[in-house]
Amino acid sequence: MSTKAEVLSKLAIRTEVVKPKRIVFVIRPEDLRKVFEELIKTFGPESFYLSTIVGVDLPAENKMRLDYYVHFIPEGETVVIRTFIDRSNPVIDSIIDIVPGALAGECETFDLLGIVFRGNPYLKRGFFVPVDLVQKGIHPLRKDSGV
Amino acid sequence: MAVKEDRYKLVRYSPWLLHFNTGACNGCDIEVLAAITPLYDPERFGIKLAPSVRHGDILIVTGAVTKKAAERLKRLYEQMPCPKFVVAVGACAISGGVFAKSYSVVGGVDKVIPVDVYIPGCPPRPEAILDGIVKLLKMIEEGRAVSKCEHKG
Repeated sequence: MSTKAEVLSKLAIRTEVVKPKRIVFVIRPEDLRKVFEELIKTFGPESFYLSTIVGVDLPAENKMRLDYYVHFIPEGETVVIRTFIDRSNPVIDSIIDIVPGALAGECETFDLLGIVFRGNPYLKRGFFVPVDLVQKGIHPLRKDSGV
Repeated sequence: MAVKEDRYKLVRYSPWLLHFNTGACNGCDIEVLAAITPLYDPERFGIKLAPSVRHGDILIVTGAVTKKAAERLKRLYEQMPCPKFVVAVGACAISGGVFAKSYSVVGGVDKVIPVDVYIPGCPPRPEAILDGIVKLLKMIEEGRAVSKCEHKG
C-alpha cells in the first residue's frame, strides 16, 4: 500500500514542512479535484476528513492562497494541500461532490474572500458577513476591503 | 420612583437563568458554567438554569454582540416572559471590548436590549458572576431594578 507522501508527491509541484506531521503539498489549482479523487481511491472515503479551507489574500503577488487541511484519522496526521490562484479572477473547482464536508469551508471562503468555487450551487453572500457589507459588495478578508 | 412590586416575587425567590453567547471567545462561557457548578452552589440563592428562554427570568449575555447575533438576541429577549432582567458578563458584553470597532460587531449588549447588571472582567471570576446576580436580586427586592418590559403584567 502506498503512503500519503507517495500519492500526494506525484501531483505536487513542491513540498514544504511547517513542522513535523504537517507537510505542505503545493499543487496546481487545476489538479485539486484529481488530488482528492486520488486520496479517496487509495485510502477510501472514510480514512480522512477535510477539517477546513483557509484562504489568504496576497495582493503583492496578485494571488490568493488556498490551504486545504486534510486530517488522516488512523495516523492522527494532518497534511496541507496548498494552491495559488489568480487574484483578478479567483475561480477554482468545487470538491463538494466528492468531499461533501467541504461545503462550509467553500461557502465561508466565498463569502469572506470572494473566491468562486465552480460547481458549488450553495454559494451565497451573507453566509457569515453582515448584511450591510454584503450590500456594499465587500469581501472583508481582502486586504483592500477597507474594513 | 422605587416601587416594590409583588410580581417580582418569583424572580426574587428562584431566578431561572438563561445563558446566551453573542460572539464570546468562550472564556466568559466557561466561567458562567463554572459558576453554576456545585462548587459555587448557586442553588443556595435559588438560582437554576431555565430549559428554554420562554421560562427564563434572567438572561446572561456573554461576548461582543455581532451584527448577526444582535437580531437573535433581540428575538430571544422578546420571547422572555415579564418580568425579565439582563446581566452582561465580561468586558466584551459591556462595550464590545477589544472587538468594539470591528466591521461585524454592533458593540455592547445595551446597544440592543436594556441591561440591568454589568459584570466586568476578562473573564470575570465565577464568584463575581454570582455576586452580580445576587446584587441584581437585592436590587429587585429593594425596588431599584424595574423590568423594562413593554407589556406590563
